[in-house]
Amino acid sequence: MTAEPILSVRDATRHYRSGDSIVKALDGVSLDINAGELVAILGPSGSGKSTLLLIAGLLEPPTEGEVRIRGALVSKAGEELDRLRDFRRRNIGFVFQKANLIPFLTASENVALAMEIDDVPARDARRHAERLLAGLGLGHRIGNRPSRLSGGEQQRVAIARALANDPTLILADEPTAALDGVRGRQVIELFRQIADTRGAGIVVVTHDPRSLDLFDRTIELTDGRVVGERAGPDRLQVL
Amino acid sequence: MNLAFKDVKYNFLRFLLTTAGVGFLIMASTGMVGLYRGIVGDALLVVDKIGADLWVVQGGRAGPFSESSAVSANMDRRVEGIAGVSVVRRFVQISQQFSFEGRDLRASITGLDFPKDRGEWVELQRGRYLTAGHFEAIADESIGLSLEDRVRLGQDDYLIVGLTRGMVDASGDGLMFVTVNDAMAIAKRRTSEEVLLARNAAGRTGAADASESSVPQDSKIAAVLVSLDKGANEDRVRADVLAWGDANILSRADQRDLLLNQRLWRLRLQILAFTGVLLVVMAIVISLIIYMLTMEKLHQIAMLKLIGARNSVIVAMIAQQSFLIGAGALVLGLAMSKLVFPFFPRRVVIDPWDFAGLALAVGAVCAFASLLGIWRALKVRAQEVLS
Repeated sequence: MTAEPILSVRDATRHYRSGDSIVKALDGVSLDINAGELVAILGPSGSGKSTLLLIAGLLEPPTEGEVRIRGALVSKAGEELDRLRDFRRRNIGFVFQKANLIPFLTASENVALAMEIDDVPARDARRHAERLLAGLGLGHRIGNRPSRLSGGEQQRVAIARALANDPTLILADEPTAALDGVRGRQVIELFRQIADTRGAGIVVVTHDPRSLDLFDRTIELTDGRVVGERAGPDRLQVL
Repeated sequence: MNLAFKDVKYNFLRFLLTTAGVGFLIMASTGMVGLYRGIVGDALLVVDKIGADLWVVQGGRAGPFSESSAVSANMDRRVEGIAGVSVVRRFVQISQQFSFEGRDLRASITGLDFPKDRGEWVELQRGRYLTAGHFEAIADESIGLSLEDRVRLGQDDYLIVGLTRGMVDASGDGLMFVTVNDAMAIAKRRTSEEVLLARNAAGRTGAADASESSVPQDSKIAAVLVSLDKGANEDRVRADVLAWGDANILSRADQRDLLLNQRLWRLRLQILAFTGVLLVVMAIVISLIIYMLTMEKLHQIAMLKLIGARNSVIVAMIAQQSFLIGAGALVLGLAMSKLVFPFFPRRVVIDPWDFAGLALAVGAVCAFASLLGIWRALKVRAQEVLS
């Protein structure tokens, strides 16, 4: 018996109207992400990577197609997604190119906020946040505000925040773009570790080819379509 | 975790400056309302405190505050004879400019009908009431005199025996209380040229006293203050006085009405209009500040939405910050008002009810400003965090 995928996107299309013409940002993309799997989405600018992430993250509905998380149909054409804020909070963690930390909160408060929003008592949230940060090598930075952290440290705080509610799915959009090679690889190693230890499905949109060896699969998008998929570090299957 | 407090703590200098700006606007509004209250209070001070039930004034006139009034010198004795009248006192008030120790000072000389009236209705800060029929004075501190000073008024020197605080006339000149007879003597002082012209007009020559018989003098008694017996028929007293034809009679309420709705009407309206303008400016400034603070946070609000924050978290953050600014500004505005306004030349009355009204207005403005910010914040979409 095959385990249910964490994320299942089926025939997702996303059309935007631009003047008189219609732009197909996504054109019938399907993908499954399994528990414990680290998947890279590659492709040039405008290939639909970020749009796919928005649709998978329940931030935009597809024009056609559907999104299932752990088998439950959560998004389809015309869906009002604002009502899914609670679902999103409990099931999906986000990491972006910019850490997007709240500047007036400390590292631990930034992480704890995600839990307090989910009605976790403040003291428990703070303790868990500190454990998460310590686990990511930031135990000595818990009381620092983002302005006192380096870019890599900020990104690790953002990852801790994404992990705060123990989501089954983590979506990352260019999380290493603002980092140098060494720190970028450290972030992907962190995702690898999270996928392995927590069993979360992780999708990383990236331009950066330097850490592809750490991914279980690589999916390549061009013009809103999946044009290639490589399973494991060495194999590329051209579709 | 209170996001509003955290943000305020983080941007404390900005919060302080913003609050100070709004606080100054609140201080200005408090000042305008206080100035209005002060002018009204000053204008009504004598009418309210002197304790007269009725004012007998010159016939056909509505004096002595709204227009000039002069009654005959024996008017008090005529009024005293009316049934129901308990006490009568003569009233004189004149503006006087004089020099003291090289300084030019102004005072509103007010006559006390000594010995019936020694000034006991005046609240003394220091010194004593009048004990002699001549050459003693009680002065308000605002005039710039001290106890034991001797000041020349008219032809005579007056000893300052008592000091009051905050007793001024409608123009803001400090009151100086002397006996009615002294007040009349001061009022009758004429310049040499006036004496000469009067003598020539009367066809007379020769040396004479500048304040006495050589020139015809109008009565300087402006009004007669009437206190009624308990249970006396005020209408009857009024009718008796009006029957003489040469006198008019006004109640305390009439005097208040004349002062507020005739003499000070335009000034009051002007101050109130200016207060209104200030409140509108304050409302716009607060709204703009809160809106701009929200606009600054749109990215963070999008992030909050992305990590699943409910609208209530975002609404609370904006509303609490707005009310923190409003509350801080109110405290600062009140503190600055208490600190600064006592040094202003005119009395500024900070009435607790007026301030409570202002606090309510600020609360309403903050609520409106929050709504504006909240409306904008709720329009933010979580995916804007990617922009």
